[in-house]
Amino acid sequence: MAAISASEIVESEASAPQQPGFGGILLRNRKFVIGVAILLIFIILGAGGELFVGSGQRASGSFQPRLAPGPGGLLGTDSLGRSVAIQMSEAIPNSLQVGLIAATLGTTLGAIVGFVSGYFGRSVDSVLRVLIDIFLSVPSLLFLILIASLFKGVGVQAMALIIGIFAWAWPARQVRAQVLSLKERGFVQIARLSGMSGLEIIFRELMPHMLPWLGANFVNAFIAAVLAESGLSILGLGPQREMTLGMMIYWSLNYSAFLQNLWWWWLTPVLTLIALFLALYLIHIGFDEVTNPRLRTEG
Amino acid sequence: MNGSEALNQPALAAASSFRQALTVFVWWGGRSLGPPPPERQTSSRTMIGYLRYLGQRFIILLVTIFISITVVFVVPRLVPGDPLGAIFLNMASVGGSMGATQLVEEYRQLFGLDQPLWQQYLNFLGQLVRGNLGYSIDSFPSHVTTLLWHALPWTIGLLTITTLISWVLGSIIGAVVGWRGRESRFFQGLVPVALLLYTTPYYILALILVFVFAFHWPIFPISGAYSAGLAPSFSQEFILDMLHHATLPALSIILVSLGWWFLSMRSLIKTLKGEDYIMNAEAMGLKEGRILWGYAFRNALLPQATGLAISMGHIVGGALITEVIFAYPGIGWLIFNAIKSLDFPVIQGSVLIIIVAVASANFLIDVAYPLIDPRIRHGAGGRA
Repeated sequence: MAAISASEIVESEASAPQQPGFGGILLRNRKFVIGVAILLIFIILGAGGELFVGSGQRASGSFQPRLAPGPGGLLGTDSLGRSVAIQMSEAIPNSLQVGLIAATLGTTLGAIVGFVSGYFGRSVDSVLRVLIDIFLSVPSLLFLILIASLFKGVGVQAMALIIGIFAWAWPARQVRAQVLSLKERGFVQIARLSGMSGLEIIFRELMPHMLPWLGANFVNAFIAAVLAESGLSILGLGPQREMTLGMMIYWSLNYSAFLQNLWWWWLTPVLTLIALFLALYLIHIGFDEVTNPRLRTEG
Repeated sequence: MNGSEALNQPALAAASSFRQALTVFVWWGGRSLGPPPPERQTSSRTMIGYLRYLGQRFIILLVTIFISITVVFVVPRLVPGDPLGAIFLNMASVGGSMGATQLVEEYRQLFGLDQPLWQQYLNFLGQLVRGNLGYSIDSFPSHVTTLLWHALPWTIGLLTITTLISWVLGSIIGAVVGWRGRESRFFQGLVPVALLLYTTPYYILALILVFVFAFHWPIFPISGAYSAGLAPSFSQEFILDMLHHATLPALSIILVSLGWWFLSMRSLIKTLKGEDYIMNAEAMGLKEGRILWGYAFRNALLPQATGLAISMGHIVGGALITEVIFAYPGIGWLIFNAIKSLDFPVIQGSVLIIIVAVASANFLIDVAYPLIDPRIRHGAGGRA
């Protein structure tokens, strides 16, 4: 027995230099790389816009209204005389910010609930499991509608927080299932026998195994949050004084961009959203294929 | 009969977790959120297992409804000041309507705002039990329930028909492509198209459809559920007009969910293709069509049917934003207008109705699932 395991160790050490680590496999995954590339382009465009646009150019009436896109006015202007390109430079970072804040909050809350529920078990677990079940079966968009309609005129960050608070149930479920299977493994038993405390085991033994899972969950939560933001905004519950991709669509619908034939006004955020979702989805698939090698077979 | 219907408890758990995975997927407009959790080892129990499972699900249903009622009660009171503050504010902003003070008085009585909080809560529950969701502010003195009864048929009609159409189409195309995907370029090309369709939020697709088929080529009307001059009736003229108006909203929902049904059926068929009984059927020399439709497809139908049941559960929640884009007079349009006019009782009532409907539908699926799926009951000579 001992000899076999020792030789295994030697073997795995010998082959270590050729085997790429987790990041290496991730970077070799074509879907992941394409997704990240598209996302980076958006971030760069958004950040660049923030730097170069003066605040004077944001107000309505800064440009001639209803200009078609062209060499002069990049992406055209809306019926209030605002540049679509400048709106986008504000909307993209804001929408990504909603995704980032909400996904971080949701994944963190979910991980905490999942770890506690899975590791400590018993009565804590049964209460938390029912809670997870409930929040999974109730469409959270409805609670969001309820809350956002009361706090009308919330800012981008507040909206992200509201979305994030309702995004914990799915990661919690996933983390709980993982913890349940991990905690019976040998290395956790040994850690427990050698006197590690519950929190220590969670952070030093279980957490490293959970990080890829949490990563995939984070991307999911990000997608869901951007989706929720644009949905709420189109319903008229978005940040009224700030620009997000959803709010751009809301304003263009509100000022009937369709009837005025200002297609560039609504089509720009629409195409951006589609590209953004596709990028995030590719990142998600890439993550999934890396963490779950059985999925890798299909090109 | 006497304990012969053995039930597989973990399989029940797996069924309910599958249901939740799909629930999350359906709600977020068609995004699958990670692989389903791994199934655990199987062990069988008796009828008691099923009853215990039913009891557990029923408690969850009750707790869900109770929590949502509580949230709907508490949230308005979290806003600083009087719960009627928002209503006052709204009335001031629209220039104060006739009978505003009367209405506020009405509300004070309805909610009993002079009473302690627990008393208010009990009153609120009492009103709900009697089916009273209060009055609409915007279209006073209509009851919220009346408005909901007018909106629900449109939403349920639109969503039922579109869900069924996309399920049938997606399953059939998915089966064919899953079966012969390797043989044809065209079939392989369908996969990224389906992927793109189902990563697109349904309301985004709706916007594009409006532009192309209602504005650029005005084939279909831009908005509404029927022409302004017509009154709803069962005449041929009205029904044709209604279908004409419903085409674009329906198309946007069908296309997006088609992507999901297609992809899931395709992967189901692809996995089944390697099964022994399929190879056996091939070795026996059965015709390919017979193997696909008689053997593989029939076996793949069960998980597909579960998915269908789950989407059906979400029909009341529907495609809220699609309705907004097409000004389709369902529950989404009702909520949208209520938000615009700060008609909080209507928002409250709609949210509550949808949550209760979705939770009840989920419960029914959980109850029915073990009865539908024969793999969950495996006792000797067990009956349905």
